[in-house]
Amino acid sequence: MSRLLGSLLSALVLLTAACAPQSGAPPSSGGAAPAPAKPEAAAKPAAGSSLKIAMILPGPIQDADYNAVGAQALDEIKRQTGAETAFSESVAVADAERVAREYLNSGYNVIAFHGGQFLTIVQKLAPAFPNATFIMESSGQIPDLDPNVWNIGRKFYQGFYVLGVLAAATTQSKKIGYVAGVKLPDFVASLNAIKQAAHEQGGDLQVIDAFIGDQNDPVKARQTTASQIGDGVDFVVVSVNLGVNGVAEAAKAAPRPVYFTTYYTEKPELAPDRLTVSLLSDFATPYLQVVKAIQGGQRGGYVEMRPGNGFQLSEIRNVPPAAAQKAKEAFDAVAAGRKDIPEITDHVID
Amino acid sequence: MSADLFIDPQLLRLTVTIAAPFLLAALGELIMERAGVLNVGIEGMMAVGAAVGFLVTWASGGSYLLGLGAAMLIGALLCLLLGYYGISLRGQQITVGLALLVFGQGLASLLYRAAVGVQFAAPRVEVLPSLPLPGLAALPVLGEVLFTQNALVYLAFLLVPVVHLVLFATPLGLRWRACGDNPRAADALGVNVVALRYAATVVGGLLIGLAGAYLPLVLTGGYSDGMIGGRGWIALMLVILGRWLPWLVVGGALLFAYVEALQFRVALVTKAVPPQLLLTLPYLLAIIVLIWIYRGARAPAALALPYDREARG
Repeated sequence: MSRLLGSLLSALVLLTAACAPQSGAPPSSGGAAPAPAKPEAAAKPAAGSSLKIAMILPGPIQDADYNAVGAQALDEIKRQTGAETAFSESVAVADAERVAREYLNSGYNVIAFHGGQFLTIVQKLAPAFPNATFIMESSGQIPDLDPNVWNIGRKFYQGFYVLGVLAAATTQSKKIGYVAGVKLPDFVASLNAIKQAAHEQGGDLQVIDAFIGDQNDPVKARQTTASQIGDGVDFVVVSVNLGVNGVAEAAKAAPRPVYFTTYYTEKPELAPDRLTVSLLSDFATPYLQVVKAIQGGQRGGYVEMRPGNGFQLSEIRNVPPAAAQKAKEAFDAVAAGRKDIPEITDHVID
Repeated sequence: MSADLFIDPQLLRLTVTIAAPFLLAALGELIMERAGVLNVGIEGMMAVGAAVGFLVTWASGGSYLLGLGAAMLIGALLCLLLGYYGISLRGQQITVGLALLVFGQGLASLLYRAAVGVQFAAPRVEVLPSLPLPGLAALPVLGEVLFTQNALVYLAFLLVPVVHLVLFATPLGLRWRACGDNPRAADALGVNVVALRYAATVVGGLLIGLAGAYLPLVLTGGYSDGMIGGRGWIALMLVILGRWLPWLVVGGALLFAYVEALQFRVALVTKAVPPQLLLTLPYLLAIIVLIWIYRGARAPAALALPYDREARG
């Protein structure tokens, strides 16, 4: 009896561990396949209405954030183009190639990697599967990509410039916080854009930045934000994903009014009287442009996601009307290409 | 860098707030280890406690008591699983603990997903409010640091003398320690080793579940996968650092919480130290302290050893 119970419990342990939200992937082939010496042609050419699109997402789709908007884009593609779609979530970079190969071997002819961390995998798979099309995301143009690769360049920093304008126009303490996770080029460029906005506002505004090493750790985000608030910050520009929960709690617990921004999705429920604006990311816009181009027979190319094309401002709340107006004008200027914002990714400017 | 940075009242207040979950989990582990049961699955159990505590609070419309109670219950149940393998089946406690670590992390994700599904607005609850203690909260500096905390912080620190008294001033504590040091001798004196080890396991599980629920219900107001962030492992280490003594464990918890809080303050005032290096500070400290402290530490002699009363001594 004890052995039976033990076996049942062991099975339960393994089953539940396996049920952690990792994928809705096709049947596993077990382990990463070796790099092919010759091009493989499992997938049929991607064109016309026979598209079978698989998206690989780095995190869980219930994050109400980056992965959720990715899944939303995939739903929109299915609805608007009639393509067959599937996705795998919480796929680590080390597993992404295996998962992509499983899709390709299952007949999927378009593989979309939702995240900037999959470049080397795309560079490896694209020549190996010349009949398939790959969609990847990055911070901009990448030279020498294969002809069957679509690159979506996400210009987050342009949107963060607008958030910086709002922060600079709102802060009373003249101290703006910036809470980011991993020190990636995207986030460094965003920080520099905020600094540019603060500098343009004048009045010796200070931007206090913190990279906490994790996009999804709300506890660290809260501790960091509390430290910034302790240092005088009264407006925080947020560049973490699930970490934003911690920022919101730190803002709510602050001894004086502290405001913050978010991105990807609108999150007013976090702190209705503290959240000012969200930089909304509609990935469906660039993805649909890409998928429609693929349906038109265009195998590769570049699409830019930027204010006006994929990035929008949510309703602006809890700030003086003049500050909101300034942010809207800045957004319009950036969207129209009238504002020059240098993309500095390799160092943080003073 | 000013010296005021290191004694800033807000930094010290944050230290106390952060120390509470370390303390709760470490006290739970300490009780278990004193009785001879080693639980290396704290991280996974805290994850389940966090998920269940948050979900029940959310589903009940903000009832902290229900949420905290459910988290404690699930922590105790998971520890009972460990107890069943480690005490009744006399399996390897480390192996089972590691299995429960993975199980817990998977279960936490699964429960959250099953209950919440995919939403563009993640569910949230109001965090436990601060509970300034009348009179004491007005004390200069100390009042702000110690007496404007939430109820769970007070509970965590009150548990230190309680656990100490139970372990060292009551017959139950004596029996628990006997089970951890020499279960055969305890058995010979009529102590029910199996029952007492189970009891310690359940009490430990209650505290570990509570520590997990602390994070979403006090610090973040929401649950996310991976939010325990290694705190379960730190709690395990704190028991060794504290040499299996509650009053030393509290010192360790405050030290680690202080370093964790300080790293963010240091990152604000200097860019000379890379942020990545600052983030490793608590773990570097853990390694250094463990190397230093373990030389003189004496673990319960029968820790992690299954007890078989039929075996020859």
